[in-house]
Amino acid sequence: MSNITTVETDPGGIADPMAGEHGRSGTGGDGGSGPIDRVYRLLKGIPTWMLWLIVAIWSLPTVGLFINGFRERDAQRSTGFWKTQPSEGTFDNYQTIFQSNQGFGKSLLNSVAIAVPATIIPIAIAAFAAYGFAWIDFKGRKPLFIATVALLAVPLQVALIPLLQLWISGAHLTLPFIDKTITLIPDFDLVNTTTAVWLTHTGFGLPFAIFLIHNYIAALPRDVFEAARIDGADHFTIFWRLVLPLSIPVLAAFAIFQFLWTWNDFLIALTMAGTNPDARPTTILIANLAGDFGRNEHLLPAAAFVQSFIPLCVFFALQRYFVRGMLAGAVKG
Amino acid sequence: MGETLSKLLSTVITVLVAVGASAGIWIGANLVFNQVKQNWRTFTALVFGLSGFFVGILISGNRVTRYSSDPDAEGIVKFGYWVWLPLLIGVCAAVVGLLLGAVEDPPRRFAIGVGGLGALGALVGSFVRAEYRPELDAAALIGWTAGVAVVGAGVSVLRKRPPHGGALIGGTIGWVLGAWGAPELGDGNAAWTVVAMIVPAALVGLRIAMGATPDASGRAAIDQKSRAVIFVGPALLFIFAMLVVPALRTLLLSIKDRDSSDYVWFDNYRAIFQDPKSWDTSLWTDMFTSRLFYTGLVLLGLALFLGLRSRRRTGRMVELGSPSMGPLLFGGLLLSFAVFTTVRGTIVNNLWWVVVVTLFSTSIGLAIAVLADGAKFEKIAKSLVFMPMAISLVGASVIWRFMYVARDSSKEQTGVMNALWVGLGKLSTGSGVANIVFGVVLTAAFVGVMALLANALAKREYPRAVIPGLIAVLLGWFLLRYWQIYGGGVGGQRTNAGGRTVGDPINFIQDGPFNNMWLMVVLIWIQTGFAMVILSAAIKAVPTEYIEAAKVDGATDGQVFWRITLPSISTTIGVVVTTLIVLVMKVYDIVQVLTNGNFGTEVLANNMYREAFLNQDFGLGAALAILIFVSVLPVMVMNIRRMQQEEA
Repeated sequence: MSNITTVETDPGGIADPMAGEHGRSGTGGDGGSGPIDRVYRLLKGIPTWMLWLIVAIWSLPTVGLFINGFRERDAQRSTGFWKTQPSEGTFDNYQTIFQSNQGFGKSLLNSVAIAVPATIIPIAIAAFAAYGFAWIDFKGRKPLFIATVALLAVPLQVALIPLLQLWISGAHLTLPFIDKTITLIPDFDLVNTTTAVWLTHTGFGLPFAIFLIHNYIAALPRDVFEAARIDGADHFTIFWRLVLPLSIPVLAAFAIFQFLWTWNDFLIALTMAGTNPDARPTTILIANLAGDFGRNEHLLPAAAFVQSFIPLCVFFALQRYFVRGMLAGAVKG
Repeated sequence: MGETLSKLLSTVITVLVAVGASAGIWIGANLVFNQVKQNWRTFTALVFGLSGFFVGILISGNRVTRYSSDPDAEGIVKFGYWVWLPLLIGVCAAVVGLLLGAVEDPPRRFAIGVGGLGALGALVGSFVRAEYRPELDAAALIGWTAGVAVVGAGVSVLRKRPPHGGALIGGTIGWVLGAWGAPELGDGNAAWTVVAMIVPAALVGLRIAMGATPDASGRAAIDQKSRAVIFVGPALLFIFAMLVVPALRTLLLSIKDRDSSDYVWFDNYRAIFQDPKSWDTSLWTDMFTSRLFYTGLVLLGLALFLGLRSRRRTGRMVELGSPSMGPLLFGGLLLSFAVFTTVRGTIVNNLWWVVVVTLFSTSIGLAIAVLADGAKFEKIAKSLVFMPMAISLVGASVIWRFMYVARDSSKEQTGVMNALWVGLGKLSTGSGVANIVFGVVLTAAFVGVMALLANALAKREYPRAVIPGLIAVLLGWFLLRYWQIYGGGVGGQRTNAGGRTVGDPINFIQDGPFNNMWLMVVLIWIQTGFAMVILSAAIKAVPTEYIEAAKVDGATDGQVFWRITLPSISTTIGVVVTTLIVLVMKVYDIVQVLTNGNFGTEVLANNMYREAFLNQDFGLGAALAILIFVSVLPVMVMNIRRMQQEEA
């Protein structure tokens, strides 16, 4: 879940991490047209061929899924996707999964209801904290920050059971020795709701959010802050007027990460809302379809494709931010 | 459609309310503390009011007072029952705060503090429900009050402050514990209840009244400190409540029994390690009959031989890119597989996942990063390899399930892997043109590799002969079987009872123990993109001058890679590896969707979910969670170390 480095941390600067910046492969061996030269060029091309071979292997599974999504049950079960005839194409699977009795449309809405709050709310909380850690001097700042970042590596399994109990019955503190119980958080009956799922995501997302945004804010030029302070601005004003507009790129980077993570999450949703058809997201529905002893197996490709479609769009549209966020030193999982 | 709209609308409202509330609270807190410098009286009034309000919430929320709830009430009325007491306490406390902020004369401050808060305590005390009236016990009361007061004084001394401040706070806490915590509630009378409430309130008032109104510099210090709390506090509170406390509670649950009623200490952990499902060594001697083991040994022997040779020349047994490295790595890997396939169990599976996924994701990612560096259409190639990162693990498992489909040998294979495997079998045992063409091409390749090998041997450049030699052995073995010179062909085919050759697909998901490897492929497929992107950025950050200088000195591409590129990106490789280790230890989704832990593929996280949430054994589940945590602890410590080095 965590890695920490500043090797390539460069908040503002990375031009486009996915683009080749300076190639350094030699270009020799172009001249000549004899058989030896030809063989030489063929050998020289092996790395490129290998690259595209790997790329083809990596894309094949997704392509197969995509094609199978448009094939009838019988076609899927009798031949491989590579033998598809164009005339076989049909939207039946997509129509079927969106029929109400499959619950797929509802689960898509649930995914939205989980992923959107779980993406936006941590940003609101973490941005303040990141600014505080970066630019407000207080006692114990460094140890607190390091402790926060260390939590990045904590596996979420460690918190699952108590959090489920919290959503089921609230939080109660039993005082040691005198055996009296105080209710700290009453029972809001959150278990099996989307609220429980996104609240959990918010908690787990915060350390990473603070870490990522802090790295960026801490690297903003000091002069800007000093100039503002000379003009009499307090922290509140500086944060609101200066830092927040400047940190849009890093907020976008975190938002993409958190959105992909919450949209694709299975474990937390299964634990907190797994049994409620009115709250479970697409991942659970697809896992249930897959565990259905093959009865609805032919719907799986279409369902999995729809489920992946939104993150893939986000990913391809905002890949630059995504990669930048990853390079800024951390990935959660 | 109506349902869709209302669901979307409620999502939007949730987001707006939550963001609005957190921003509102935060801005409000900033505005309150803006009063520190501008208007001290307003500040004290607001802080007293808010503190009183929160104390009221705790009292009212625990239903300690009368009229705090009505079972028949709904909506706003219910809320009204709950909120009137916090509001009352808040307003009264705000008045006391306003007066305290305005008055500087010590005797009058004491009168306001002790009298005001004491009166408020009496008021609240008079509302306490009969079930909560404490029967005061003088011994317990004095004992608790004095005891905690001494502790408070001690803390004050340690903080180099006058002891009476801490003693007063400690006395307050002690009184509350002694009066409300220790005795049975419900047996006392009304008068004692009021006394029990007055004393702590008056003590707090006394403590506050003792402090003088701060001067300008004091206020500036308060302002500064408060900003730190306002900015950092909410996030830390959230993390504390959602991560730290639950993690500690899990630790506690792990030493209790299945419904957390009794302490069983280490029984849960003992149960995990004694369960043959998590650690089964009964068949470990099978290792010595496995081909993996002996092939690994041969490779290690080869590595030793080459290492001894290279030590004579360079003084080192193994170096990056030295001929002994390949056999050493492969030999070690095969030996580890020999262990993982004979010693079975959940914990062993997790280790196997860590070794394979980390190694393959990192090395394939590195290979792609190097191959793609500067290639045409680099961006497209990398995007396609990176794409699985956006797909959910559940979706990826579904995708690979279709790759692994195994159908009866009489039917056509619809999964890519088995189609290739059975196709290869047909090609090898068939007798068409394709059989001959494929064989001839491979044989030609074999001849080519042999030529390279012979060339290297003739020039006595033995290190260069290692890789062609290994390829020649593998290819030669394959060709021997393919031409059916030795054994009966390759690929998925077998001869049935009638003497006919039929397809023999592999059930990738169910045939153990290598089905584990096929599950790992899914995660490798996803995580290679991650390794590639990080390593690619690191490779591009290696200064071009070094590489050009080396090339001018006549270094080959291989030497540049092993001697310059790889050492320069070693830190980044470490980051990738540690990240992957943490991620792999938690692997859950893939196993759950593809096998649900059956067929010998159970891993810790799936086991934890099953025990805790399906079998309702919170003790065992918590112990498994702690085990996962402990296994990533070294990585966490390393991360902290690295952070500290960077901060220094």
